Amino acid sequence: MDAHAASPPDNAPDLWHYGHDGNDPMAMKTLGFWLYMISDALIFGGIFAAYGVLDQPMGFYTGPTAAQIVHPGAAFLQTITILSSVLAYSLATVAMKTGNKNGVMLGIAASILLALMFLGLELNDFATLFAQHATPQTSGFLSVFFLLIATHGLHMIFGVLWMLVMLIQVPRFGLNTDVVTRLLNLRLFWQFQASVWVCVYIFVYLRGAS
Amino acid sequence: MSSQQIDPLQHPEVQQASLRGYISGYGVTLAGLGVCLLITNAHFLSPIALLSTISALALILLIAQAFLFFGLDFSQHNIWKTFSVILTVPLFVLSIGLTVWMFHELNGLTMLPEMPGMPMQPTLLQ
Repeated sequence: MDAHAASPPDNAPDLWHYGHDGNDPMAMKTLGFWLYMISDALIFGGIFAAYGVLDQPMGFYTGPTAAQIVHPGAAFLQTITILSSVLAYSLATVAMKTGNKNGVMLGIAASILLALMFLGLELNDFATLFAQHATPQTSGFLSVFFLLIATHGLHMIFGVLWMLVMLIQVPRFGLNTDVVTRLLNLRLFWQFQASVWVCVYIFVYLRGAS
Repeated sequence: MSSQQIDPLQHPEVQQASLRGYISGYGVTLAGLGVCLLITNAHFLSPIALLSTISALALILLIAQAFLFFGLDFSQHNIWKTFSVILTVPLFVLSIGLTVWMFHELNGLTMLPEMPGMPMQPTLLQ
């Protein structure tokens, strides 16, 4: 028996035990959330497919082309902020390994701030486009452009809300099984946003500017 | 049941958090996207060569994130996550690739040829 193993009390939840092939309750929840994330990724896949279809001359209609509205240099600042936010949250889960609640809280707070910076840059980008009369109603291409960017932005907003909830739950309930499972699922969700952004940055901003 | 665990912090998915892995994932992703930006701004590749290059880099970055961020591997507690991703990849290829290909072919058959003054930009398959 290792240092962390112990005989559980009768009311303790069964988490897992080595050598047993079945999934434990924590792993079942993270696997379930993982499968949800994959279905979420397929939603993005559908939007990327629509983007690929409408990113052509007829899709631009009377509106601007992709090259006229995307600024990959400026968007790289968004790239830095979102990746830094994901790193900050990931480091919070490193602190969680040792039960360091202050480290968890600090990582989540930093992640929220960086995510808000990302959203601010995105909203500023939208405001600039709207000022130039480049709105979702202008053309099919702009409709799917705004849909794609806004869908990712909405995910970021929900992630921030989730992190705010965890900022309350971690000090209130401690790092118990439920809170830890939620923090693990939030890590999956937040790191997934970085993966989506890689695709958005490359196929929308860089490809659009080429 | 002697090896049963009751401390959630000792769960394998908690313990898989890796400082080195996360910093590596951050660095690799940022560097990869920076390289893509430089290649795009340099304008020395044709549109199709550029698309191929940055698409390949995107694939490499996504695989790197799968290992360094998500910690996917074939260990007992990650194998189903890894397999679910592998089995989903063909769905992405089919849904995105076939859709773009079909509409590209449809455009070629039904749309007017390029008109003078029309804002033009190569499509994904051009």
